[in-house]
Amino acid sequence: MPEESLPSVPPAERLLNLVIALVNTSVSMTKQQIRRGVAGYGDAPSVDAFERMFERDKDTLRALGVPIVTVDSGGHSDDVGYRIDNDAYALPAVDLTPAELGVLALAAQLWSDKTLRTDISRAMTKLRAAGAGEAASDALAGLAPRVRAVGDAYGPLLEAVTERRVVTFRYRAASTGQVTARHVEPWRIAARGGGWYLVGRDQDRQAPRVFRLSRIEGRVRVGSRAGAFEIPADLDVDALLGARTGRERTAVLAVVPERASAVRARAVPVPSDTSSGTSSGTSSDVVRDASPGTAATDATDAPLAVPPAAAAAPAGRDVLAVRFTSLTTLAEELAGYADAVVVLAPPELRTEVVRRLQAAAGLAPRTPHHRPEPDEETTRG
Amino acid sequence: MAERADDRLVRLLGLVAYLDGAGPVPVAELAGRFGVSEQQIRDDVDQLWVTGTPGYWPDDLIDFDADAVERGVVHLREARGLTRPLRLGTREAVALVAALRAMAASGPVQADPARAQLVASALDKLTTATGEAASAVDVRLAADGDPRVVQAVTDALARGRRLRIRYVNAADVAGERDVDPVRLLTQDESAYLLAWCHRAQGRRTFRLDRVLWARVLDVPVEGRQVDVDVDVAQSVAEAGQDAAVATVRFASAARWVAEEVPTEAVRDLPDGSFEVRLRVTNPAWLRRLLLAGGPDVLEVSPPQVAADVAQAARAALAAYGVAGEAWPDAGAGAAVG
Repeated sequence: MPEESLPSVPPAERLLNLVIALVNTSVSMTKQQIRRGVAGYGDAPSVDAFERMFERDKDTLRALGVPIVTVDSGGHSDDVGYRIDNDAYALPAVDLTPAELGVLALAAQLWSDKTLRTDISRAMTKLRAAGAGEAASDALAGLAPRVRAVGDAYGPLLEAVTERRVVTFRYRAASTGQVTARHVEPWRIAARGGGWYLVGRDQDRQAPRVFRLSRIEGRVRVGSRAGAFEIPADLDVDALLGARTGRERTAVLAVVPERASAVRARAVPVPSDTSSGTSSGTSSDVVRDASPGTAATDATDAPLAVPPAAAAAPAGRDVLAVRFTSLTTLAEELAGYADAVVVLAPPELRTEVVRRLQAAAGLAPRTPHHRPEPDEETTRG
Repeated sequence: MAERADDRLVRLLGLVAYLDGAGPVPVAELAGRFGVSEQQIRDDVDQLWVTGTPGYWPDDLIDFDADAVERGVVHLREARGLTRPLRLGTREAVALVAALRAMAASGPVQADPARAQLVASALDKLTTATGEAASAVDVRLAADGDPRVVQAVTDALARGRRLRIRYVNAADVAGERDVDPVRLLTQDESAYLLAWCHRAQGRRTFRLDRVLWARVLDVPVEGRQVDVDVDVAQSVAEAGQDAAVATVRFASAARWVAEEVPTEAVRDLPDGSFEVRLRVTNPAWLRRLLLAGGPDVLEVSPPQVAADVAQAARAALAAYGVAGEAWPDAGAGAAVG
């Protein structure tokens, strides 16, 4: 913490003196009493410097959970007093067993960001101060949960969500690559499938939107008014993120023997009527600015390049079925297997895979007068 | 770097609250409890000693038994009202509760009822202490892997047993191997088993959704020293130090590639597209990436990588009975969306 003048009292000592003074005051202390009486504030060279120092210290202590309350004795603003709410100060008794403390110690390793690690290690310090004993970790031996770093936007966004303040930021839309200013009522910060997202209401578009934090450019600005909106009580983060949108459907695949074992491992019995799982249904009516996991949009308007009926399996292949909810995610996975997997149904999945393959086939022109057979060159890496 | 004032304050308050009513406590024990050096504890005691209520006369100050401190024992005599542990701040509660909720819902915890019960009770106690304010952050870890595989892996880890697994690699080749499990890394994106592989005679990382089955063997693991501090993306990048570099320009819609794939460099271009440089440690993996992202791939170099992908795509289209040239503009860069 940078100080404006060289203090003879270190900041931690000044903060501690302020806590002790406000815990022990019989009624409350005014700013004047604090400046004159609490060790460390006498260093402030001017009224303004003292005001800034005190305001910053007050914010620091509140962020740490110290319940500083103002006592308005009526009249002049110099009469406003400060004290610590002793009823709200203490951590309620948390009687953790050694095994439960082991769980907490493991949870503390989940975060990759310095800021979240700092937050959780302070929490652990307070719990240890409350008498929590030795941690036992046998029950969770070898487990290592980890979530990727959320980045600098986390701090302001968390403040905005907890205090219900509007945020403004510049955002790069994946669909166009354009960067525009967005005004959002933030509801939740969420991590799913390798990405961090802000779920909230876009004020300009007047609708719920999902923003990928890595696409926020520059700083997040937090509005001055607290309690500026309500967070929906029935908020379903997964529905908005698209993780559970659409019904689960069944795809029928023709797979070359011995290939695509990872797909085979998920196989379910092939439905007797292979068209039963093929009814189309739009995955969601929520427009997404960023869907978790893979591509930014579900392309459902591609022209049909194959007949819509369930196709017949090429000879010599195993026919198997897998369940899926995201057409895009499965199409990407299956296109990656190239000729090892052919989609038989549903037709919209087949179309989506073929669309990807056709684009990939166009990456390099076929050599004129030379039409290689599929297995003429080795393509195994 | 000097410790932040707010971090130190939390510990100073914690020390007093803990020591109040605890009697004499050795410096070493305090250092262990609060995760700092013994010297830091001594510095903290010196700091507390000069802190107190306004006036700051001897009777106003926090006080310790001076003789005991000489002997390496901290004995608090006067707490100046700081007798109770401070409650959690909002950020602290969020960081703790969100992490516990993510763990509670994760496959490795859910795989075993006793484990699930333990995490649930820790979460219960914490939520009671923090209130409901902590729901601002919602983290879900990867649900990768067959539950039976997860169960076998966690069981082997808990009991220190060797595993026999059937694993399919990125080139789509399956094989059996015996491994000594070390860690089950459950990340937000995927889950990995870190193990000593007896077939490869080295440390290996296995994607859990590619473990086709796993069986716990009645053989204890060898107590090998395996570096557990593994960052999967980082280790992929390092393994490719000598690998060739490929450059791919993607349409904006494929931004997830820049965000999720270990890249050497990402360059944003004025038209919204972007270019990534990738180390090709595994040609099969790169081909899959380009096949999957086909419509958003604008340019690939070197040309033989593009030719390889196009070749694989044509073979696949032939299997579909569709000609590769059906869409002359395919791959020309229209960002569909």
